[in-house]
Amino acid sequence: MVSAFGIALFGFVLATALATALLRDILAVIIVFAAYSLGMALFYAFLLAPDVAMTEAAIGAGVTTLLLLLTIATTVREEPGIAIERPNLPALVVFGGLLVVMIGTVTQFPALGSRNAPVWSNPEVTQYYLEHSYKDTKVHNAVTAVLAGYRGFDTFGEAVVVFAAGISTLVVLGREVFTRE
Amino acid sequence: MSDRQPNEKPVVRGADGSESAYVESQVIMSTVRVIAPFSLTYGFFLLFHGADSPGGSFQGGAIIGATVLMIAFAFGIESTRNWLRNRTVVVLAAGGAAMFALVGLIPMAYGANFLEHPFYHEQFGIKTKWGLEAIEALGVAPIVAGVVSGLFFVIAAGALPATEEVSEDD
Repeated sequence: MVSAFGIALFGFVLATALATALLRDILAVIIVFAAYSLGMALFYAFLLAPDVAMTEAAIGAGVTTLLLLLTIATTVREEPGIAIERPNLPALVVFGGLLVVMIGTVTQFPALGSRNAPVWSNPEVTQYYLEHSYKDTKVHNAVTAVLAGYRGFDTFGEAVVVFAAGISTLVVLGREVFTRE
Repeated sequence: MSDRQPNEKPVVRGADGSESAYVESQVIMSTVRVIAPFSLTYGFFLLFHGADSPGGSFQGGAIIGATVLMIAFAFGIESTRNWLRNRTVVVLAAGGAAMFALVGLIPMAYGANFLEHPFYHEQFGIKTKWGLEAIEALGVAPIVAGVVSGLFFVIAAGALPATEEVSEDD
């Protein structure tokens, strides 16, 4: 994270995150939050995690923004009067404490690409999947091999959670159909 | 934006008389006309190439579902709701979950473990890769695409009033 692009991206994500927290108008918050998600998607791509980047761009920036917009469109939007949220002192104290813990944690992380990172210092686990995934499954993408193969039961649970989210929304809203009969 | 009153918003009535959030816009309609075929193709590309390149069923399914959302945003939620039958959404979501469970349970019926992919090769000569592809393309992707588009329409419709009885059945 030494390139100018990385620093600019970090600044963009930080600025949009702060704006999301501080802006008063909900519509403005949703739009800035979409920009934040797009920045995070670029960040994941920048950190060489394209699978996570695609999910963040599609779900975080796309679907979540549309669902939030839809929700405020069906409710009454209050005119804020003031542009910036007045900080709440107890919330600020909690935030400060959390920030100290987070910064303390992040500074203990191994550097990006460091040989001491757990992913490298445990070669018998990591290297096993990298070496065996193609031989075992004939699938080139090791992420897919782990998700659908080695860890398939876990993925089954995740898929059922997505399914349950759809059903529970129907239950909460008291409807029997998603679209029409 | 501060001089606009909240109740000045143009109100479009849906088929059931409820308020719709839809506002017709030539710019959004033209943009979606260009982007939708691309994003649908890209969603299927991610879905079918997930095994060999970045991406996969979750991302592909989400983009396919988001394409339906995009069309609904541009051309009207009510008219898109009429085009997309509830049966389609339910078959995608529930069928995906059932297919995933089926791929996992068939080896168990023969005494192997849940989702034991190599079993398909030993028993039926089906390549292990096709088991993974079946989970991706027939399981996860339809669930995600169905739930994403279903959530959009059900949230757009909002909650039913508590006194109103649901009389129709599917």
